[in-house]
Amino acid sequence: MGSRRYRAKIAAFCFILPALLVALLLLLYPVISSVFYSFTSKHLIKADYDFVGLKNYIDVLTDADFWRSFFTNIKWTVASLAGQILVGFTAALALERIKHWRSFYRTILIIPWAFPSIVIALSWKWILNGVSGFLPNFLVNIGLFEQAPQFLSSGALVFPTMVFINIWFGAPLIMVNVLSALQTVPKDQYEAAQLDGASPLQSFIHITIPHIRVVVGLLVVLRTIWIFNSFDMIYLITGGGPAGLTETVPIYAYNIGWGLKMLGRSSAVTVLLLIFLLIVCFMYFKLLDQWEKEAG
Amino acid sequence: MKRTKRTLGLMLAMLMLLLAFAGCGPNGADTTQPPADNTGTPATQPAGEQKLEGEITFWHSFTQGPRLETIQAAADQFMADNPGVKINIETFSWADFYTKWTTGLASGNVPDMSSALPTQVVEMIDADAILPLDDLIDRIGRDKFYEKALVEMTAEDGHCYGVTLYSNTEAMWYRKDLMEKYDLEIPETWEEMYECAKIITEGENGAVYGAAFPMGTNDMLATRWLHLYVRSAGETLITEDGKANLTSPTAIDGINYWVKVYQDCSPADSINYNTLDEATMYYQGKLAFDFNTGFHISGVQENSPDLMEYIDCAPIPRVNEGDPAVGCETNNTPLVIWKNSEHPEICEAFIEYFYEPERYVDFLLSVPVGMMPAIQGVTDNEKYQSNEIVQQFQHADEVLNQMLPGSTAIGMEYGPRPEAGLLTSQHVIEEMFQDIILNGTPVEEAAQAAEDELNELFETVG
Repeated sequence: MGSRRYRAKIAAFCFILPALLVALLLLLYPVISSVFYSFTSKHLIKADYDFVGLKNYIDVLTDADFWRSFFTNIKWTVASLAGQILVGFTAALALERIKHWRSFYRTILIIPWAFPSIVIALSWKWILNGVSGFLPNFLVNIGLFEQAPQFLSSGALVFPTMVFINIWFGAPLIMVNVLSALQTVPKDQYEAAQLDGASPLQSFIHITIPHIRVVVGLLVVLRTIWIFNSFDMIYLITGGGPAGLTETVPIYAYNIGWGLKMLGRSSAVTVLLLIFLLIVCFMYFKLLDQWEKEAG
Repeated sequence: MKRTKRTLGLMLAMLMLLLAFAGCGPNGADTTQPPADNTGTPATQPAGEQKLEGEITFWHSFTQGPRLETIQAAADQFMADNPGVKINIETFSWADFYTKWTTGLASGNVPDMSSALPTQVVEMIDADAILPLDDLIDRIGRDKFYEKALVEMTAEDGHCYGVTLYSNTEAMWYRKDLMEKYDLEIPETWEEMYECAKIITEGENGAVYGAAFPMGTNDMLATRWLHLYVRSAGETLITEDGKANLTSPTAIDGINYWVKVYQDCSPADSINYNTLDEATMYYQGKLAFDFNTGFHISGVQENSPDLMEYIDCAPIPRVNEGDPAVGCETNNTPLVIWKNSEHPEICEAFIEYFYEPERYVDFLLSVPVGMMPAIQGVTDNEKYQSNEIVQQFQHADEVLNQMLPGSTAIGMEYGPRPEAGLLTSQHVIEEMFQDIILNGTPVEEAAQAAEDELNELFETVG
């Protein structure tokens, strides 16, 4: 009997072994090597390196550019996330009420997700080009501006412009998920609330939100990580400029790792990023836990 | 059920974090140990004295159709002449090539031979990744090569590690029709160029700009344009002792000059321009002046053939009237043979074969006037001279050839050095200009800060 159970355990282990190996090789190894290299003088193309203790961390934490990019990253994440949730939520609520052609509208609105980042980045660069771009010239032609607004080169406009692009890109994902969650809310609760004389706003606050907030909360966690680590869009459109106004921590880390080839120091940046995001996730999950308890 | 959902959520978040983190960190590959059986001694087997057998991989970054085709045709012919040889050609953009070789070095995942940029050759030598090619150069004819093209590839050990395939040199490109329209003379000094650019900018009222000073931090064009100004006065951005030079009176004048050009003659967007943005503006006919190589001709021909009759180039302007016109920047694009190669003799034989006039001239003519020969005397060839573009742009060809001897890649004026790579890859000068323009930082203060930053960076490779 015991032997049969043992054999079953071995078989089970064999089944999960491929997935386990993939996880270990593709996820844990790079992470562990990053942590290891963050304590060394590792160079991208030189073979030799030494153990340098906390030097990389001290260098990073005393670098004014790191803190500038860190706070830019916080602003970028908060503004993008808030905008994506607002737009995504509104679009989902609107779609919920549409009876006909819902799938068509949902497909149209999800289009930004269908394109690779490089296509989106180059398209926006073209649309916003200060000389020949469609949008600046359109705004001049309709008389809103006398001169073409410089969306990507003005110090005042470049950051909001990048946030706007990120909202445009990310809101559809929120919309689809919120829409799915909205469809799970029991309709009889709305009918009961209506009979009791509740206003639409009260129904939304007391019925809709409690039902979907766990899903939205989880979405917020995932999007926070995603937006905080986003690299391609900013790099392709502004390269972190002008004057470092859109340089986030991933771009800072990239410049150190691939520009200066100081992989040890670049690894230290990514480890710090991981620690920060783990703290943020921990706080989010505490909140989610509390919501679940309240719901229970 | 709730606990399961929560655990699932937690696991998903952790997975995302790990995935994101895995993408940020090193690629996990250890770096660049050459194979133990390779001693790094120069490849000395003379080509043609033995039957060649084996397979080699050739990475190059000549992604444009005609160049790619001429190389493939040469490889096909070489394989036909040497039935035991197989040449696998793989093509990457310059950016992808850099990523490929830097990450592939550790695992031995590098080609047998490849193209390279001069600053990359310095890094490859530093990483002990490529072979010296002195014997091959001697067989082709050392005295045929331009001296600077060899000096740039020569390491401290006295060996030459790259064979220059072609060169291109920077010149001032202008629009003949606009010069005529505004009755302007071809500028010979920087101040004259500014005056012309300003007149055209004001006269064209946004339809055409005099110039577009490009400062994008994902490229190195602001460094190049400042370098042109400084070199035209006989100075360099990296001094002989390997220090950054942004605070000399000439460098400060140069910074002030380009800020003035940006403010009075450039589209505001050029603060973010990279090479493609800049070239596109010129191809669209929206720029009167630009600084580029003979590659501009093929770019205009491909994108706006109507402009072909209106473009020409002149020597880089000088600071003072009467100063001699000097070449300021030449990029020598070499071929290198990797230490990991099991068949360096095939690589050498193929390179030697490629330099034979019937193939080499075809290669040069795939971008006429754009790719200038690395070896002297080749352009006397009748086939070269009878090319339609060469004939049409004879003046441009003369100007470019006048500027070629004596100039080097940016920062390589005193020989190959890793600091040159940092000067152009770290975008410190681009950030300095953006800081001056967007934040109003005084020029001297910004220049001093950028110089200090560069010197700090230089210490990492010193």
